[in-house]
Amino acid sequence: MADTTEVAISMLIVGAALSMLFMGLLISYYGSSKTRNVGFLFLIIGAALAYYVTSMAYDTVVFVNSILAFIGGMLGGIIGIVIFLVAIIKS
Amino acid sequence: MDMSTEIGDGVIMDYFVSMLLIGIGVALLATGSFTSYFGAGKSQKIGFALLFFGIATLAYFILLYPLEEDIFVEALVSGVAALSGMIIGMFLILFVLMKVDTVDDLEDLDLEDLEDLDLDEELKKLEKELNAESNDSSEEEE
Repeated sequence: MADTTEVAISMLIVGAALSMLFMGLLISYYGSSKTRNVGFLFLIIGAALAYYVTSMAYDTVVFVNSILAFIGGMLGGIIGIVIFLVAIIKS
Repeated sequence: MDMSTEIGDGVIMDYFVSMLLIGIGVALLATGSFTSYFGAGKSQKIGFALLFFGIATLAYFILLYPLEEDIFVEALVSGVAALSGMIIGMFLILFVLMKVDTVDDLEDLDLEDLEDLDLDEELKKLEKELNAESNDSSEEEE
């Protein structure tokens, strides 16, 4: 089993890469002439981080498990907020 | 990364579903506590119900230990670390965007046109137009 620190660092990089990729995509598409260049820079950094984290020498199973846990947590948070909104709107 | 390894059995239940329930529990706890504190009447009751379900969901994991401790800690560390990474990424993006001068260049603007512009003349034109409009309206009233 991979070290917990290794999992934490790799998932930290995954999170940063995801936000860089998505925000970079939005900024490079909708940004003005100056911010568009920054958006492309974020896209490159996000892609580099994603490449780095997938080429890190540690177990694939642990990595996929961590990704599953992350997606599960995010979905759970969204479902919880949806439950709250439905309960408030229906009342 | 060793791509030859296969994904183990029961992973979906161990990692995905456990973190899904933890996410629902945390969201219900947070929204329930806010609604029960700031809400009034019916919405406050709903807030207490949400708070109860949130505490019950989290208590299930804390008291009944449905998972092995190693797996649970790993799943929790993964989720929290990825969320922290996303927050750090967002802060970096905001920092860079605030530091970059986002206003478009003024070089494209033809400053010679502005220099040629006689402000007094423009003011006189505007006054004439305003006077003409006010005269028209007074004639119509008469």
